[in-house]
Amino acid sequence: MSAYLAPDAQLPYCRGCGHASVVRQLSRAFERLQLPPRSVALTTDIGCVGLADSLFPYLHTVHTTHGRSTAFATGMALADVLFEQGSLKPVVMIGDGGAMIGLLHLVHAAQLNVDVTVLVHNNFLFGMTGGQHSALTPVEFVTATTPTGNYVPPLDLLELLRAAHAGFLARQSATDAGLDALIAEAIAFPGFALVEILELCTAYGTRWNKLTGAKLKEIATLQGYALGKPEASLERPTFREVIRHQQQNSHVPHATRPEVLRQVEGATLASELRLVVAGSAGERVQSAAGLLARAAVAAGLYATQKNDNPVTQGTGFSLSEICLSPRPIEYTGMEQPDVVIVVSADGLKELVANGTLAGTRPETLLVMDVELDVPPANGRLVRLPLRQRATPQRAALAAIAAWQALAPILPPAAWDAALETLPADRRGENITALQAGRELAECQSGPAKPT
Amino acid sequence: MVAEGALAAGCRFFAGYPITPASEIYEVMMRELPARGGLALSAPDEISSLCYCVGASLRGLKAMTATSGPGWALMIETFQYALMTETPVVIALVARLGPSTGGATQGAQGDVWLAEFGTSGGYTVPVFAPSTAAECYELTIHAFNWSERLRTPVLLLSDKEVGMTTEVVDDDALARPTRVDRARIAEGEKPRPYGFNAPGDVPAFAEVGGEAKVTATGSAHDQEGRLRKNSPEVIEVLSHLQQKIEAHAEEMTLARTDLEAGSSYLLVSYGITARAARQATSALRRDGARISFLQPQTLFPIPRRTLDRALAGVKTVLVAEENLTGQYRALLAAHLGGRRIVGINKIGALISPAEIVQAVRNEEAR
Repeated sequence: MSAYLAPDAQLPYCRGCGHASVVRQLSRAFERLQLPPRSVALTTDIGCVGLADSLFPYLHTVHTTHGRSTAFATGMALADVLFEQGSLKPVVMIGDGGAMIGLLHLVHAAQLNVDVTVLVHNNFLFGMTGGQHSALTPVEFVTATTPTGNYVPPLDLLELLRAAHAGFLARQSATDAGLDALIAEAIAFPGFALVEILELCTAYGTRWNKLTGAKLKEIATLQGYALGKPEASLERPTFREVIRHQQQNSHVPHATRPEVLRQVEGATLASELRLVVAGSAGERVQSAAGLLARAAVAAGLYATQKNDNPVTQGTGFSLSEICLSPRPIEYTGMEQPDVVIVVSADGLKELVANGTLAGTRPETLLVMDVELDVPPANGRLVRLPLRQRATPQRAALAAIAAWQALAPILPPAAWDAALETLPADRRGENITALQAGRELAECQSGPAKPT
Repeated sequence: MVAEGALAAGCRFFAGYPITPASEIYEVMMRELPARGGLALSAPDEISSLCYCVGASLRGLKAMTATSGPGWALMIETFQYALMTETPVVIALVARLGPSTGGATQGAQGDVWLAEFGTSGGYTVPVFAPSTAAECYELTIHAFNWSERLRTPVLLLSDKEVGMTTEVVDDDALARPTRVDRARIAEGEKPRPYGFNAPGDVPAFAEVGGEAKVTATGSAHDQEGRLRKNSPEVIEVLSHLQQKIEAHAEEMTLARTDLEAGSSYLLVSYGITARAARQATSALRRDGARISFLQPQTLFPIPRRTLDRALAGVKTVLVAEENLTGQYRALLAAHLGGRRIVGINKIGALISPAEIVQAVRNEEAR
């Protein structure tokens, strides 16, 4: 017994169980590496193998939930990267059942190449729960849930994790000489390492199958499993190295500052105003509404913006709901909009479908593209050749500008302040759109009634 | 603003998985956290997200993830693990409409029970519920502070309407709670992973990788972290997990109250619907009604004393919430001393101030 395993440790395993052997070999592996006990996080899964944490009194031990041990260990290893002196070595002890339910955690840890070592104790079944089969049970193997023999081919974990770019993969049986050296090599490996250990479950495995320690190799051969450490490690940077490299080479972006708008005077809005802009996806409807909200905020108003679109994002309608107010805004519902702007058939269809048009009143102002059918709505209607004159991409902003020319609440300087928040190369097109909208409004003799 | 609050609270680790309407928190954290000295990571699923966060917290970092109902359903087992292992972590749960995949881009307040009662074993889970962007900031900091202080997982429950509405935040008026860090084990002190003197106390924290040995376990354990079956030592620890919450329940209470002396009616609402309720309260008062308003920002533990104060003289309590089952109303009912309680409920759209006003009018006409 070594200093890692408690000298008086009573191994809680059945006679002949592979777990007892692995626990001793693991302790020897730590001894070989002379790892400071407090640099190890022994992370155990559920099952008989999960009892191992209590046997190592000097290591940090984390006894987790079924199948998730790898993910908890990965979290610890990821966080360790932020510690300058970090050198944590999480070692996971998991069974074949845990490896099955937690397969994605193994795959992702391998992809990340995080410094986690996983020991999969593959005894071909769930021991603690009564000997049920797992995804790693060999064909024809008899278990409590495969009484006539398993017919589902077992998963080759090593092959699977090779595809996930794992750098260290090995397989051995629990009774093989040199297991301690192999485990030590895996732990010393700076990235993700996994050792699959083939074991006997003497409670169920040997009861229902003609099975001895020597037979494990035969089973491995029959299943097409390679034994040992089949291939040289894949050379690629560990997660720790990737993060260090990013930090040292300033690949880390600068923190974003909160958006603060240049304030201007001259908003003329006495009470809350609710506005809907509707058009088609990809036609800058929501960004036009966003510019309006910014202009309003620049002019000292409060604003809220809510956007909506179909789940596919890139097709169909695009919609934005804006509330503007001289006071903080509480309720943001849009049952009775004051202004409705519609610049495409998609947008019109959605406003009919979602009930917005049903909420229009005689005092509602509707600004629509002239090509659209006049909808069943109340209110004053303004029809303008928005798409034709301003282009479909600029129609929404042109419509907003036209509305503001007809019923102004914001001073021109507010738009200048809003434009300043845009990247320089985006300002020109927005200025063009605003100009087009204002010109269209000038040609408009006055709002007409819908028929 | 949840992300900004988390950063202000000292969050240094975030793991996320895309889900509307919580993806914006994920995206902001992926962009901002590395820039401010932390680590943000995309996990392959929600189970991994929370496991990574809990692992990072065990290592000593403040950690958060963000999700919606479907993702929360996957996280619950890990949340329970954090509760049992007394590991601080914050989950921003941005609710959406309906069961299963539901309406991803529609708001609702139907996850109150799931947030509070999702864990097995029967424990009070602290839940904070913001109604505005500014409250998102403030309550996220409180969520972190209480998670750290009590060594327990905490939920920040909002919904699509709170989470995905862009609005103005008055920087000058923004509340900035002082940051609290978990109490760590003193140097040289003998580690007792789950040790406490009084049951309401919180064990000193030791991080995995530090000098003090950590014994963390999700199984029933004694104060040393040893697995024990149904022994008095284990029951003591299991009771402590509840008692430490109860001992701090009043201190944890945050609420916006607008009480009016002589009110016969108390309007209670939280989250997004509290905004309509505030507006309705003003409208009712303009028309001469005497009504008090209470918005619990700490949904759980239920703010009993604040509620008691608000109830003085009140005959009828109205609870407005965007779900069909009156989730918070059902839980408040036990604390109203037999007063009449009325629900204002619907789903699929915001409850409007007019609907709340009408409900109060209906009560007045009874």
